[in-house]
Amino acid sequence: MAAREKYDEAQVVEQLHDPKLCKAAFGKVIEHYSSQLYWQIRRMVIDHDDANDVLQNTFLKAWTSIDNFRGDAKLSTWLYKIAINESITFVNKKKVMNQVSIDDDESFLVNQLESDEWFDGDEAQINLQKAIAKLPEKQRLVFNLRYYDEMKYDEMSEILGTSEGALKASYHHAVKKIEQFLDEIE
Amino acid sequence: MKIDDSTIRNKYGKDPGFKVPENYFEDFNKNMVAMLPDVEITPVDVKPTMWQRVRPLVYLAAMFAGVWCMMSVFNYFNGSSNLGVSVVAERMTEDNKNVEDFLMSGSVSDYDILNYEDSVAMSNEEPLSNE
Repeated sequence: MAAREKYDEAQVVEQLHDPKLCKAAFGKVIEHYSSQLYWQIRRMVIDHDDANDVLQNTFLKAWTSIDNFRGDAKLSTWLYKIAINESITFVNKKKVMNQVSIDDDESFLVNQLESDEWFDGDEAQINLQKAIAKLPEKQRLVFNLRYYDEMKYDEMSEILGTSEGALKASYHHAVKKIEQFLDEIE
Repeated sequence: MKIDDSTIRNKYGKDPGFKVPENYFEDFNKNMVAMLPDVEITPVDVKPTMWQRVRPLVYLAAMFAGVWCMMSVFNYFNGSSNLGVSVVAERMTEDNKNVEDFLMSGSVSDYDILNYEDSVAMSNEEPLSNE
């Protein structure tokens, strides 16, 4: 088995702007980021097939607008931004399709989790997902990025365009709400 | 501010219970590259980072700082005093007395000057021919 080539972000970004090398370089980007972006998207849209569609759209959008990426921000920040926007757009569209009020929470996404082929969690994990789904959109995002990805606040701040203080406050509120929800249902 | 999420962490862990089909990411990566449409890429110079821009200046400053430190250490171990340029210059000029200084103090008389001028004039005269 051939050893996987080491990923050098500075080199890849340079190659992305070379018409001869850009496609191969973007292949490296997909290989490097597909997993982490998938899990972030999956935690937002819950369903595997939906996450797969959103991930494809994320990379297609990034590829078609690669000319606009000038290296001012980190590639990961740029990709996360696209992935989060695509996830939010997808969830809102799904709400409309399921005739759920746009102001209601995303619990409808979690309700079919038990019958999902690609979910093997227990009741406690379903309850946690329900609690997360009840959070407002921003708090849900912050909670997922911090709790599961352990993303630093400064990096999160670049992705979400919010101050670090506000993000810490959001995370604090999210944790309290989840604890409260879980206490109530147990 | 450290936010305490240990209650959730201890009870629910970090595994959300989601899974993916076998070899999902390998297949996804392959298929995704295959479905990328052709796009027009404009070759551009990627904007260098702040560090890349200031790096030569920082290296230059560090070099000068190093040289200065070496000279300071050298001076210190040689027991030389901390003579600044201005002090050295002052000492050098201390011994340079102008002609006017001698005239003012009266140590050169008018006669001495005439004598000196005559001797110079004589030495400049052409030697007499033997004819």
